Amino acid sequence: MAVTRRPPTKSEVRKQQMMAAVNFPLDWLEERSGLIGGVKYFLFRKVPSDTNWMQTLGSATLTAFIVQAVTGVILAMYYKPTPGDAYSSIQNITDHVTMGWLVRGMHKWGASVFIILMFLHMGRVFLFGAYKYPRELNWVVGVLLLLMGMLEGFTGYLLPWDQTAYWATVVGINLNGTAPFLGPWLAQFLRGGQEIGADTLTRFYSMHMLLIPGAIIGLILLHLYLVVRLGVTSPPWSKEEAGRERVDGDGSRPLPSGLTKPVARGAGGAK
Amino acid sequence: MNPEEMPEQEHLPKPTVWPIGFAIGIAVVLVGLIVDPTYIAPVGALIAIVFGVLWARAATSELRGRTTAIEPERREAQVAPAAVSGDGAQPAGERFPRNKFLELSTLGLGGVIGGLVTVPIAGFAVLPSFLGQKHHRTDLGPVSDFAEGQWYISTFMTDPAEGEVSRRTAFVRNNGTTTVEGKAEPSFTIISNHCAHLGCPVQANGPTGAILGMKTISEHTVSGPIKLEPVVPAGFGCPCHGGQYDTEGNRTAGPPVRALDRYAFEIINGRLILLGTFSVAHVDGTGAQAQIHKYKSVGPGEHVDGWEQILYPINPPHN
Amino acid sequence: MAVMTRREAKRAQFGRYKADVKDRGKPFFPYAMFHDTVMSLVVVSVIIALASIWKWTSWAPHHDGTHQGLLGPEYAAPADPGTTSFVPRPDWYFYFLFYLLRIFKWPDSVFLGTVGVPTIALILLISLPFYDLSRERRLSRRPVAVVGAVLTILSMAILTWKGATAKEALASEVIADVPHWVQAQHLPPAAVPGAKLFAVAGCTACHTYLGTGSSNLGAPDLTAIGTRNLGIQFQIRHLQCPSCVNPGSPMPKFASLGTKRLHDLAVFLEASKGGK
Repeated sequence: MAVTRRPPTKSEVRKQQMMAAVNFPLDWLEERSGLIGGVKYFLFRKVPSDTNWMQTLGSATLTAFIVQAVTGVILAMYYKPTPGDAYSSIQNITDHVTMGWLVRGMHKWGASVFIILMFLHMGRVFLFGAYKYPRELNWVVGVLLLLMGMLEGFTGYLLPWDQTAYWATVVGINLNGTAPFLGPWLAQFLRGGQEIGADTLTRFYSMHMLLIPGAIIGLILLHLYLVVRLGVTSPPWSKEEAGRERVDGDGSRPLPSGLTKPVARGAGGAK
Repeated sequence: MNPEEMPEQEHLPKPTVWPIGFAIGIAVVLVGLIVDPTYIAPVGALIAIVFGVLWARAATSELRGRTTAIEPERREAQVAPAAVSGDGAQPAGERFPRNKFLELSTLGLGGVIGGLVTVPIAGFAVLPSFLGQKHHRTDLGPVSDFAEGQWYISTFMTDPAEGEVSRRTAFVRNNGTTTVEGKAEPSFTIISNHCAHLGCPVQANGPTGAILGMKTISEHTVSGPIKLEPVVPAGFGCPCHGGQYDTEGNRTAGPPVRALDRYAFEIINGRLILLGTFSVAHVDGTGAQAQIHKYKSVGPGEHVDGWEQILYPINPPHN
Repeated sequence: MAVMTRREAKRAQFGRYKADVKDRGKPFFPYAMFHDTVMSLVVVSVIIALASIWKWTSWAPHHDGTHQGLLGPEYAAPADPGTTSFVPRPDWYFYFLFYLLRIFKWPDSVFLGTVGVPTIALILLISLPFYDLSRERRLSRRPVAVVGAVLTILSMAILTWKGATAKEALASEVIADVPHWVQAQHLPPAAVPGAKLFAVAGCTACHTYLGTGSSNLGAPDLTAIGTRNLGIQFQIRHLQCPSCVNPGSPMPKFASLGTKRLHDLAVFLEASKGGK
């Protein structure tokens, strides 16, 4: 039967024009780089339908890290990494720079929030058994990220150059120094000499700003790539758990591996 | 056929060198305008005009009906297929395959470049922490400031040029004189306040000047401001993890692995000069008769005697 | 159906997972991403709230950021490498390591506490997927994992809490408590010099007194030492040489304080009758 198409209404035409206007630059970019396709794949990939609120901890940790990175970059515009100026530059930031108190406070407390979230995320992954095959590599990357995060906190702690900062760093470096054989060398390298001095502060600043964030960003990208590639797990207590062995209609025999007939109550499978 | 209807690609004029000459002429004009407008600029204008006319002639030759020699594009003769069979093929007669050579030399040169970049940088990052350690001399003031038998908490800067970051504290006691090889020599007990466990600042267990009713002595020497605060310690204690020491610096309780470090000293022109620190395993006896078991300065937490010293066989250079 | 090897079984399960997700999964955007966005908003709000509370509670009383408010002062004292009155502590997330160091008190074991135990723990953590090889994910069927996790969380929490509350009670802190002692113990004026000496001479490193101090090496609480009526002379003799009076005592000798100060201390100790 022939279908007659009525002519499009004015609002439909306007909608089409808007869509075309939006799509034009996206298509331009896609043709020349393939990036839009990548973003679309990331956004619209399928995840198990029973993903849980606990599984937001990972992205929450990423958000905390981004807050730290942004506030850190802004603080670096006013902070002076020398023993004579560090403390007063932070007083300047807190008291005189517009909203400086907020940026400094967010950076200081964001560090604690970041570490707490990392531990909670790690606990959630452990709880879900999401470190098992094939996600072992992702777990290793995650523990490395935890280590980097705590080192980031340790190096950042020295920067205000107040009593708590100075002495906590003395002890922390000497802790490394007690390691057999290479300990004293590592401690002296970290300190930039026999005793803590100006070199220690600039060295820790370089590690805190460049070395460790670089490592963290690289590891985060690897971590996210693996999550997208390997998929997100269902909670282990879920009835609909993706990947669970399915039984066919009467529940007596497991299906041959690879088939995914959904469990149907009573009647046989539909698809 | 009308020239305008012909597809452009088929009848492009042969490339010529006239545009280059024209560009040179324009460049000379511009230079001339800056350097010497009276002579050089007109020369440049002349060149530009001459080449411009020649260029225009060549570009419009077909419009004016002159035929131009058009060379058809020719491909190279087809190469015999056997010679492009793949990169593993070796032309007959070569002993060392070319692609292998390229692979190895790329990796090799890459390694050389990596080394050239990394080694100096690594040296820059690592070596200064270990080389060129400064030897400090601190003038602590006249010996007469130190009453015999009285402990003082002395604060000083080991390197005034570096400023406050080089501030240190030592517990100093003038022990009077002691006889060494028949000669009377002054004796001081000068104990560093860095705990031998992990480097926390050790405190004196005892009343200080405020409670004793004694005043703090302030001196100003070439090493900057010096403070001497009288104290009557029964021992020294560390606030971090509970280390306790007696008045000779021997460990009496807690996790410190050896005695407190001491400062070597000299007396020059009646003034007490502190040199570098050295590490101490333990001290027998007290005061001027103390037998100090002395070692080169090592970091906190490192054993200098006992079986654990094998854990720290080679130490980085200290002053 | 033939029995599969473990490897084939693992891959088959993952294959099932992929197929399940493809068939019945939901697109990340907007379903899962909505949850993520809400949680991220919570995180950012918490960070801003903490920063604001820190500012207002530390700034309000004196307008200079030094008040020890709910979240601590905005400014601590500037670094002084020559200090003799500061009590170092790390950032809170290192408290568990800090307390571990206090547990390993014996000099021979120091490197165990500093690098031994933490390194072993880190190795166990990082290699977890390589020794926990079962495919089982349901908690009810992973008893070892659950017990291990509970023990780890409990011990970290306890170590962190004990690290936070650890006090070393040396001269710089305790001297401020003396007025309180005078009031609580109804100390006579003659006992006050002795109280100050007691506060600064390091006694509280091993003895507790009215809730201050640490309890170390078996040293008794001295709040009510006066009720034992040991007498001034005994107290002086004991302070001069504790191991002479009490064989085997690890208490160091305080003879160097001098007769007058020892007498002041003895008066204070005898006046400490446990207050109300």
